[in-house]
Amino acid sequence: MDHVLTKASLGKGPPPGGDGPGQGAYTACPGAGHRSSPFRRGLLAWVRAFPFLAPSLFGVSVFLLLPVILIFVLSLLQWNLLSPPKFVGFQNFATIFEQDGAGHSLLVTAYYVLLAIPLQTVLSLGMAVMLNRKLPGMGVYRVLFVVPFMATPVALAVVWNWIFDPKFGFANQLIGYFGIPAQNWLGSYKLAMPVLAAVQIWQWVGYNMLFFLAGLQGIPPELLESAAIDGAGQWQRFRRVTVPLLRPTMLFVLVTTVIGSFQVFDTVYVLTDGGPGTSTQVLNLSIYQTAFTDFRIGEASAMSVVLFVVVLIFTFIQFTYFRRRTVYEYV
Amino acid sequence: MLSVARPLKLAIFYGVLTLAAAAFILPYVLTAFASLKPIDEIFSQPAWRLPSSLYLHNYANALNNYGFLKALENTILVTCALTVGQVTFGILAAYAFARMRFPGRDGLFWVYLLTLMIPNAVTLIPLFTIMRYAHLLNTYWAIFLPYALGVPYSIFLMRQFFLSIPQQLLDAARIDGCSELGVLRRVMLPLSRPVIVTATLIAFVFGWNNFLWPLIVTNSTNKYVLTIAIAEVAGGYGTRWDVVLTGGMIALIPLLILFAVFQRQIIRSVQLTGSVK
Repeated sequence: MDHVLTKASLGKGPPPGGDGPGQGAYTACPGAGHRSSPFRRGLLAWVRAFPFLAPSLFGVSVFLLLPVILIFVLSLLQWNLLSPPKFVGFQNFATIFEQDGAGHSLLVTAYYVLLAIPLQTVLSLGMAVMLNRKLPGMGVYRVLFVVPFMATPVALAVVWNWIFDPKFGFANQLIGYFGIPAQNWLGSYKLAMPVLAAVQIWQWVGYNMLFFLAGLQGIPPELLESAAIDGAGQWQRFRRVTVPLLRPTMLFVLVTTVIGSFQVFDTVYVLTDGGPGTSTQVLNLSIYQTAFTDFRIGEASAMSVVLFVVVLIFTFIQFTYFRRRTVYEYV
Repeated sequence: MLSVARPLKLAIFYGVLTLAAAAFILPYVLTAFASLKPIDEIFSQPAWRLPSSLYLHNYANALNNYGFLKALENTILVTCALTVGQVTFGILAAYAFARMRFPGRDGLFWVYLLTLMIPNAVTLIPLFTIMRYAHLLNTYWAIFLPYALGVPYSIFLMRQFFLSIPQQLLDAARIDGCSELGVLRRVMLPLSRPVIVTATLIAFVFGWNNFLWPLIVTNSTNKYVLTIAIAEVAGGYGTRWDVVLTGGMIALIPLLILFAVFQRQIIRSVQLTGSVK
């Protein structure tokens, strides 16, 4: 995996050798005539680079690497932030599944992902295909589709809260216009989760469309033309030429959106706060409540570890894909 | 490529697109309308009715009586600090990784890349304990510091761009007696404007929209950022839609302006991040 990563992302680095001591060269050839200089040169190079690196080195180690170590340590403790922490081993992992409904939260989160992601992916692909036609006005539509993704999720969540308000909301005004009886959207066990998924789709579909649009524009027109000459219809060309060539984009979009959706918090917190009952109690909400309203840091950290593992599985899929693509490029 | 078929087909095509565009724009329009209506009008009229007059009282009310002015100031302060830090320190690190030679460089960069795998949600509890240990809870520092010292993602983005700048240009500047920092400032930065704009936008939007982290580390109203202030009003007793929706607009308007000004750049940078990731 490391080899692949190096190839894929470090490939464009400056060529080894040259004037300075390349990191490989400086230990590899000690007998090159300047016995003491490689070490001193390396040290000098570090002295020069260090001021550039120092802030980010501090940031990465204290705010990223240390937390990863800490989350595992904290997950083994019983700690309410006030009394001294107590080591309890893996007991927290049993507690969160037996008493805190972590399994339920995991299922709820998976349900959310399953409702939102497939539909969102298909819609964003469809929108990209429509906008990829060379017709006037496509640029304007593209801008309009993309507007939501930058906007503050919390601010949009209160907007949706108002739109789905059972008494005064636009949603009921709209369906009332077509003669459908008013719904208690966010207070309904059946509808709350689909509404959350719809909000997610609305916010991110345009953003993901951009990736498909870029992918579509990367498809050589000759391929589609030759398929047309061979007698393939519009649907067949899409199905047999476009979709297979978009597979890398598809995987990128799927993996990144799945990873993001497993961490959903803002909209759920504002729109349902896990309700009605625990029907929208996603994992990240459970983590927040356990840590910062119940002050059970150990249990909340154990849940975070579970979330971490789930996300890592999907990240691993992404990296496996990178390996395949690298191999493909080198064949 | 695709044949432009009969006018009817074209009309349906544009109809579908326009309907979709309306669905994307409508929530903003309805909210903007509501923020300009007195509360009884919000409750009594259909949401799509135009406001009867230009009623700006909601904005004054939200800003002055519901803490949104302070929250707006806090958000601007914290977001600017986060952005300036993240971009400045990111540029320095990206330059070191792209154009300086020192032993262990690629290994260290690989560690930075690995941290991209760490989900944000997982780091929040440990970060909270770190901030608590440092006695920084409920300060501005706590809100922006974890994201202001160079974030691997933006370092990665800028490094890739820096690598595309011809080495000869930098060497020429060095021969002319430029220091390493001089080369960065006088040669690299002027040539890298697109990626720096991209990194700045990403940092700014992230800082502006951030919710869960400020929710965890702040607990007094004078440190609230806009997202917290909005959630606070929305979660309060009997929802004041006039205040809540106006608060939402206060958070959204700056981003919409930003989007209007930079939309070309933003769309291009999204596609750029898709191709490097």
